[in-house]
Amino acid sequence: MVPLKYNVRSLGARWVGSLMTVLGTALVVWASTLAFGLVDGLNHTLAISGDPLDVICMRQGATSETNSVVDEAVARQVATLDRIATDSSGNPLWSPELVVIVNSPRRADDTKANVILRGVTPAARQLRPGFQIVEGVDAMPGVRQAIASRTMAKRFKNAGLGEDIDVLGNKFRVVGIFDAGQSATDSEVWTDLEVLAQASHRTAFLSSIQFRATDEAARDQLIDRISTDEQFALKAMTEQDYFAEQAAAGDAIKIIGYFIAIVLLVGAMFAVANTMFGAVASRAREIGTLRAIGFSRRTILVSFLLESLLLCLAGGLLGILGTLPLNGLSTGTANWSTFSELTFSFRFGAAVLIQALGLVVIMGLLGGLFPAIRATRLKIVDALREI
Amino acid sequence: MKFLPYIVKNIMRHKLRNVFTVLSIAVSLFLVTILYAYVSVQDELAAKSVQYNRVVVQHAQGLTFPVPLAYVDRVRSMPGVKAAVPLSWFGGKYKDDKIPFAQFATDPQTIMSVFTEYTVPPEQLSAWQNDRTGCIVGEKIARKRGWKVGDKIPLQGDIYPINLELTIDGIYDGPETADKEMLWYHYDYFDELLKKNRPIMAGNAGTIFVKVDSADRLSSMMRDIDDRFASSDAPVRSMTEQAFQQMFTQMLGNIRAYILNVSLAVVFSLVCVAGNAMAMSLRERTREVAVLKAIGFSRTTVLSLMLSEAMLVAMLGGALGVFGAKTLFDWTDLTVSGIPGFSTFYVPWSTIGLGLAVSAAVGLTAGAIPAWRAAQVSVVNGLRKVV
Repeated sequence: MVPLKYNVRSLGARWVGSLMTVLGTALVVWASTLAFGLVDGLNHTLAISGDPLDVICMRQGATSETNSVVDEAVARQVATLDRIATDSSGNPLWSPELVVIVNSPRRADDTKANVILRGVTPAARQLRPGFQIVEGVDAMPGVRQAIASRTMAKRFKNAGLGEDIDVLGNKFRVVGIFDAGQSATDSEVWTDLEVLAQASHRTAFLSSIQFRATDEAARDQLIDRISTDEQFALKAMTEQDYFAEQAAAGDAIKIIGYFIAIVLLVGAMFAVANTMFGAVASRAREIGTLRAIGFSRRTILVSFLLESLLLCLAGGLLGILGTLPLNGLSTGTANWSTFSELTFSFRFGAAVLIQALGLVVIMGLLGGLFPAIRATRLKIVDALREI
Repeated sequence: MKFLPYIVKNIMRHKLRNVFTVLSIAVSLFLVTILYAYVSVQDELAAKSVQYNRVVVQHAQGLTFPVPLAYVDRVRSMPGVKAAVPLSWFGGKYKDDKIPFAQFATDPQTIMSVFTEYTVPPEQLSAWQNDRTGCIVGEKIARKRGWKVGDKIPLQGDIYPINLELTIDGIYDGPETADKEMLWYHYDYFDELLKKNRPIMAGNAGTIFVKVDSADRLSSMMRDIDDRFASSDAPVRSMTEQAFQQMFTQMLGNIRAYILNVSLAVVFSLVCVAGNAMAMSLRERTREVAVLKAIGFSRTTVLSLMLSEAMLVAMLGGALGVFGAKTLFDWTDLTVSGIPGFSTFYVPWSTIGLGLAVSAAVGLTAGAIPAWRAAQVSVVNGLRKVV
C-alpha cells in the first residue's frame, strides 16, 4: 500500500486547490446536515411525546384534538372504567382536556402563529413524562392564570412570565414556566379547564380525554372497549400512536431535506472529480514512478480513492462542525393536523452524524472513482516521459 | 466578439473538466432555482391578489373560532361591498387521502362575483347552482385525480361530525396564480347536515370573502367591518387577501431564512469549486498567456479573455440548471392541495433571471483571482515557466 502520508503531502503540495475543494464540500455538507438535523429534531419531539401506557380518546372521525369535541358526560363515564391507573392518593390518572387555538405574535419578528392553549385539571401534569415547573409557580385552579413552556415563553410575545394571553377579551396571566423535556407539550400553554371553557364559550365540551392504563394488557383492552362501544362514540389510541400519526406533519420537511441533500451530493461529486482529475493529470510522472518501483494498479487505485476520501472527510468534518453552534436551537413549524405551531430543536445526534458521514463517503468514493481509474490506466513509459 | 472562437477552443481543450464544472454548477443552480422559486411564488401570489380588491374576514381570535353566518348578509349590506360569500373549510377525508385537500362550503349564487378572475362554463355554473349536493372543482385537481363532471365525491368529516356526498357539476379555471385545487360546494347542504347532527356547530361562516368596489376603499372597508362587529359576541378581524395568504406562510415558520441560508451556502460552494477548476485551467496555460502578452495583447485584454471564459462556463451551467428546473415544473406538478403555501408552484421568470445573474456572478468571482494572477505574470517569467 502507498503510505497515507504520500496522499496527505500531495494534498498539501496543491494546498490552494485542496482548500477550495474542502471549503466547497464543507458548505454542501453543512447545508445537508442542517436539513438532517431539522428532520431529526422534529421526529425526536414526536417520538418522545407520550408514555407507552397513556391513552388518548377523541371523537370518532377526528384526526386531532383540535378537531375533536367530546361531551363532558361521556368523559366522566370513561373515568369510571376499570384498570385505569391511580395516583398515590387513589384518584384515577384521568384527565379531561380542552384545546383552544390562540393566534399569537412571535417574539422574534412579530409574525403570527397558532398556539395551543390547553385547559387541564391537576391530573394532566402526571400524564406528561418529565413535566415540571422550572420558574414561577403553578397556575391555580379557578382563576385566570396560565403556565407556559420555556420554549413558548421565549418564542411568543404574551407567553413570558408576567405577560397576558388574551382569549375573547379574557386575560390569562402567565405565572409559571414549565419544562416537558422537548416533548410536544413544550409547544403549549396550560391553564385551568373550567376557566378556559368559560372564557372561550365552550362549556360542557372537551377536546379529548387522556388516561394511563395500569398495564399494557389493560391499555389494549380499554382501547378496544372504548373504540367499539357506540355509547361513547369515541376513538381511543395510545398517545404514541397519536403522535406517530402527526409525524406526517414532518413529511414535507423530510422530503425537502433529502431532496436538497441528494441534489447537493451530485453537484459536489462533480467538483471532487474535477479536483482529483487535476491531481492525477499533474502527477502523471509520480504515478509512473510508483508503478515502476513496483506498486500495482490496484494499490494506485486505492491510494487515489483514499486521497479523494481524505479530501471530502476534511470538508465534511468542517461542515459538520459548522452545524454544532445550531445544536439545540429551537425552531417551529406549522403542524397542519393540529393547526398550530409545533416547536422543536435542531438535533445533531448520532443518526444525523451517520447520515452526514455517509454522504461524505459517497461523495469521496464516487467522485474519486473515475480519476483513480484513469490513474491506473496510465502506461508506465508514457507517464515517466511526461514533463 | 472576435475572440469568441479562442475562448471556446480553450474551453474545449479540457472537455471533461469543463463538462464537470458545468454539471456541478447546473445541479446546484437547479436546486437554488427551485428553493428560490418557492419564495418568489409566495410573493407573487400575494402581490397579484392585491388587484382583486378582496378582504377576508375571520374571527378576531383566529380561524378556529366561528364567524356567525348572519354576518355575511350584514357585510353585504355595507356600502362599498360588491359581493360577499362565506368560505368555510371542511377538511374532510376523501378515500385514503392522508392530508385533506381544500374543500369549502360557500354560496354558489355569489361566489363567482367575488372570485371574478375564476371562470366556469355558464351551463355548469347554473347546473351547480341548482344542485344542492353539487360542487365544482378546480381544473388542476380534476386533472390530477382524473375527475369528470358527474363524478361522486364522498367526504368524511374530521372537524365536523358529518359526511358529505357530493357530485361534480363543473370545473373552474383561472390564471396561473389562481388556486385551482379547491372544491366548492353549497353552504346550505353543509349547514343543514350540521343542524341535524350537531346543532351547536351550525351557522358558522368560517371566513367571509368580501369583494370591495375599489382599491382606495380597502383599508377603510376593513376598519368599518371590524368596528361594526367589535362589541358583539364574535368580534372579527378583517385583512386583505394578501395578508390572509401570508398568515399561512408565516405559520410555516421562518422558511425564508432557511432557504436563503442554504442557497447562500450553495453559491459560495460553487465559487470555490468553479474557482478551483478555473485556476487549474489557467495554471496550465501560463506560458500561453506570456506568449499572448509577448505578441502585444494588453493586460486588460488578457484579463477579459480569462474572465469571459470563466463566465461562459458558469453561465452555461447556470442556464442548464435554471431552465432544467423550469422545464421540470412546467411538465410535472408537485403541488399539494390543502397545505397552505404548497398549493401553487411554478418557476417565475424573475427567478430565472436571478439564477442566470447568480451564475454569471459565480463565474466572475471564481475567475477573478486566477485571471488576475495570469495577467500579472511577467512575460519573461511566463515564457520560462515549465509547467
